[in-house]
Amino acid sequence: MNGRPPRLALLGESLVDESALAILVEAVLGRPFVQVQPGLRARGWPSVLQILPAVARHLHFNTDADALVVLVDADDTEPHGERHEAPGYFHPRCRLCQLRAVFRRATRNLPPARGRERMLRAVGLAVPAAEAWYLCGLDEAVGEAAWIAGREAGRPPYTRRELKARVYGTDRPNLAQAVAGATAAARRHARDPRRLEYDFPGFAALAADLRSWDIINR
Amino acid sequence: MIASVAFRNFKALRSARIDLAPFNLVIGPNGSGKTSLIQAVLRLRTLSRLPAADAPAETEPETAEIVFRFNPPHDGLEATLTCRDEDRCDLLQLAPLPAGEGADDWPGLRARLLTSRSYLLDARAIARPVYPVTSDELATDGGNLAARLAGLHARSPESFAGLREEMIRLFPEYADLVLDPARGTFALRLSGGGDPVLVPADEVSQGTLYVLALLALAHDPAPPAIVCLEELDRGIHPRLLRGVRDVLYRLSYPADYGHVRAPVQVIATTHSPHLLDLFRDHPEEIVIADKHGRAATFARLSDRPDLEALLAEGGTLGDLWYSGILGGVPEES
Ligand SMILES: [Zn+2]
Repeated sequence: MNGRPPRLALLGESLVDESALAILVEAVLGRPFVQVQPGLRARGWPSVLQILPAVARHLHFNTDADALVVLVDADDTEPHGERHEAPGYFHPRCRLCQLRAVFRRATRNLPPARGRERMLRAVGLAVPAAEAWYLCGLDEAVGEAAWIAGREAGRPPYTRRELKARVYGTDRPNLAQAVAGATAAARRHARDPRRLEYDFPGFAALAADLRSWDIINR
Repeated sequence: MIASVAFRNFKALRSARIDLAPFNLVIGPNGSGKTSLIQAVLRLRTLSRLPAADAPAETEPETAEIVFRFNPPHDGLEATLTCRDEDRCDLLQLAPLPAGEGADDWPGLRARLLTSRSYLLDARAIARPVYPVTSDELATDGGNLAARLAGLHARSPESFAGLREEMIRLFPEYADLVLDPARGTFALRLSGGGDPVLVPADEVSQGTLYVLALLALAHDPAPPAIVCLEELDRGIHPRLLRGVRDVLYRLSYPADYGHVRAPVQVIATTHSPHLLDLFRDHPEEIVIADKHGRAATFARLSDRPDLEALLAEGGTLGDLWYSGILGGVPEES
């Protein structure tokens, strides 16, 4: 990737995710990237897990993508914790661990193509949904720690609907409202993503993946 | 508008009741009563035109009946349709309820009910030129759209501008909606530089025409009180369904989108798991019509206590429906 801008494909559930993710990825990389095949979509979980191997194979052989960036919502599943990062550890209910494992299996035996050995990947997990990221820094009650504590007490502190209502002013945002709200929040974090990384380990994991490429390639 | 509908001995609906929300998406196999629900609303509208019968008629125990209750400001009234047989429900009776308001305002309720409309959109009808123009009301099949658009443009230019803007957002391949009232038709102008290319209505894709008809409803400054839409997803690309949902939410929840007008109650039917996927956060808007043998019933998806637990096991709402565990699937012999 040295010299030229990285070529990245983004896989999310909607145009809303894709628009905000593009801004956050550029902020973490600290430089612009070229988006390969815009408009890749998965139909929620577990569709994204099922479609990931085919998407990875297509991108590897048919495009010059350097990497695939995937963002999913955790909903009510296990957040990605620090101990999940231990070598060889895999949490079967953590969507981030699952996506990493599926990507690894899907790409491990692919022969080199398009002048590169293999594609890189970065995976983010929004706990419980991307709207929580958009409220980070604005609403002190929103964060992965608060979500986990609430879950353990059997009383989640907020619902997806409540998060949406707080971000967009309605829990039925139309596409234009949702893209506007999500990208405004992403631009706010892009100025300084440290708070988002600190409060949301599911974003920190994505950021660590993105930065690891620079270490390899610069 | 309508708070609930209860059916007794009406076609397959032997004993079925459903509470209605501002927006309702009805799923279920063919013959499960989805269309009966819409027919009941239309019958209520038709009979509202006539003077109501006061005296309770002598009813046989097997007589078919459809009982409607309403939201405030008319929650003090109950309307009962009585049927002589499956196709002849021609007696409308009104009764005050012990509580609630508006028991004496049948004229007010009636005026709202008379505006109810039902649509089964047909692309060829939508694209057909309308000339000469005698009315600009959207026809049941979406015919008359050209007149409707021209009428909106003439009477409410801001509403027309909102419609045009939303259309361009949904279909970025087009840059403009061009009316041609002299010929009773319209066209869409393709985006991109060079000479402007106009696509005439009869060459526009089916799905685009359906969405355009829905937009004409959603941007009407004085829309019907109730809009029924059969086979909402017909001809529409799965990725455009989000836009379709947005358009209909604009009808049902106008305040959320900056409109100052009464909400429109929407009752839509679909067979699309992709459309259902979009209602994960709003299961209270999903009605499951089900059929066991010859008896059909209705249920709200939000009444299912284990719904969150099922979704947590994996699978989208559409996947869960297709699997059969939510009901609302055809029986197999
Ligand atoms: Zn994990």
